[in-house]
Amino acid sequence: MSNRIYNILFHTHTISGIIISAALYVIFFAGSFSFFRDEIIGWERNESISEDFKLGTLDLDRMLDTLDARKELYGRDIAFTKYFEERRINVSLSASKDTTATEEARQRGFFYLDTDTYQPYTYRSNYSIGEFLYRLHFFAQLNFWGTSGYMLSGFVAFFFLFAIITGVLVHWKKIVSNFYVFRPMASLKNLWTDAHTALGIIGLPYQFIYAVTGCCLIIGTTVMSPAIATFVYDGDTKKLYEDFGLSAPQTNFQAEKLSELPSVNAFMARAEARWPDFEVKTVQVLNYGDANMQVALEGTANHRVKFAGKGEIIYHASSGTVISAVDPLTETSYPDAATAVIKQLHFGDFGGKGLQIVYFILGLVSCFVIISGVMIWLVARDKKHIAPAKRQFNSWLVTIYLAICLSMFPVTALTFLAVKVFLQDFDESRMSFIYQVFFYSWLLLSVLFIVKKDNYFTNKMSLISGAVLGLCIPIANGLVTGNWLWKSYSLGQDQVFFIDAFWIVLSLTALWVASKLKKSPAARPLKSRPSHLKDGMDQSLISENAFQHLN
Amino acid sequence: MPANKKYLSTSFSQRFAKITAGFIGGYAVTVSAFMMLAYWLDHINVLSTLRFGGFMLWATLLLLAFLFRNGWKAWGLYLAITLVFSAIIYLNKMYLPIF
Repeated sequence: MSNRIYNILFHTHTISGIIISAALYVIFFAGSFSFFRDEIIGWERNESISEDFKLGTLDLDRMLDTLDARKELYGRDIAFTKYFEERRINVSLSASKDTTATEEARQRGFFYLDTDTYQPYTYRSNYSIGEFLYRLHFFAQLNFWGTSGYMLSGFVAFFFLFAIITGVLVHWKKIVSNFYVFRPMASLKNLWTDAHTALGIIGLPYQFIYAVTGCCLIIGTTVMSPAIATFVYDGDTKKLYEDFGLSAPQTNFQAEKLSELPSVNAFMARAEARWPDFEVKTVQVLNYGDANMQVALEGTANHRVKFAGKGEIIYHASSGTVISAVDPLTETSYPDAATAVIKQLHFGDFGGKGLQIVYFILGLVSCFVIISGVMIWLVARDKKHIAPAKRQFNSWLVTIYLAICLSMFPVTALTFLAVKVFLQDFDESRMSFIYQVFFYSWLLLSVLFIVKKDNYFTNKMSLISGAVLGLCIPIANGLVTGNWLWKSYSLGQDQVFFIDAFWIVLSLTALWVASKLKKSPAARPLKSRPSHLKDGMDQSLISENAFQHLN
Repeated sequence: MPANKKYLSTSFSQRFAKITAGFIGGYAVTVSAFMMLAYWLDHINVLSTLRFGGFMLWATLLLLAFLFRNGWKAWGLYLAITLVFSAIIYLNKMYLPIF
């Protein structure tokens, strides 16, 4: 690679990285917690569910009957969806197609339903810290103009992809030797550079996956489809949706009331008998109670059997005949498989809890790569020949970045605590309470750290305060619900136990890291440099000049 | 050590040209390339690949635009490629219609 190309790539890596850094940190931090979204929600509501909780184990007939009494289901399309591992499922009702239906039955509806108590919840009263962190990781809270938040997070992911590609190219020549270099006792700049390169390379496949799948999931359709819709489909979006399987199934309503309702449970049992490894995620009952009532079961293949399998079976309810069937094990189409692979890689839900813990750690490692990149940027420009005004600006920028990023840890712990202690009711105020606690404490803490203007203090205090608050979380949970760690463990309430234990481990790790923090390692004498660098390695690698072209 | 400034373009118009060529021009090349392929191969498969593969191609084109010495030449090249692809799309649409 010529010097010219090297320097250009290096510069684009620096600039794209520094622009997205703070936003990307927020995405990775909130996103890492989102791996445990379902556990957090189970913990928060004290509604732990077992691993074999499936739509197939529910009494769907009784659920439909209860909803019928409340909402007059005749002529409606009803969909039960279980997106997440939680006790509450999504229920959506279309307007009744019966022209003689009452005014109320001709209104559409959407709510969450507790599958144990049949208690309905609206979006706001169902809100949770798990949902909040999950949505924060794609900036849903910034959707002020249309989907501005989604677009912002999507383009941050896109420039992240750009920074990964340029980063790999810049480090390409030294990728192997640099991997083994870590000089914690050398200058501050070398410390940050070594950490950034080594961890960046370890996390490379993971980060590449997240950049690409993140772009695809959040802006893939919005950014890529307009030209396709205009030029390939001549503006016929109906045809486009049909081609990509996005249109809702259309069935004729016959306006003939069935005297006896066929059992949806029985169809569920039939589908499971037909494909034993089929996991139903959505149950749709079309034209409820009508002569043309249909039951559509959609789902995936069990991950142990097939990585990306998507299937569907539709029954005609009164006659029991199969209208159409797509085998989840053998007939998955390329677009369905691609979407499934992308989603599973992103959510990390194919390898159980262990994989998600590894993913969580890699997520925090990525946070560290981002921070160390910002620190290199600062330290490399903190030189005598740079104008004082510029150096002042750089140091302020880094102070602000660090204050915003690092304070997320105590703020998250505080919100968990506040939700457990003060938010017992599932009413409409839930969402605004979580917003206020999180965003106001984040603002306050960031301003405090910015005013203090001491990066060492910011780092140490956020670790310690986050750890102290984090250690209070299992105690608060025990005091409020009586469901102490040992109790939830012996009762097999895995989700509740997991979050309590998770906070203890995380807080102890944070305390340990905080105890190791020393003010400015550069101030120490250079002779304490680790000996293996002198003996085991080429002398030229040790000299500062060897890395000049790299840094 | 920050990148050596001697190799970087410093004028505003050059920077502007390179960034817009990579971002807007790169996007146009990406989308038209996939659209062109959609007529030759299975269009649903090609267009679903665009949803993720498109970002990889786009990011690469964004990077390549910075390597040009003259940013306006990058614009010229990306526009020319887009026009060629568009002409092929136009012909494909007439002679190999999907619908």
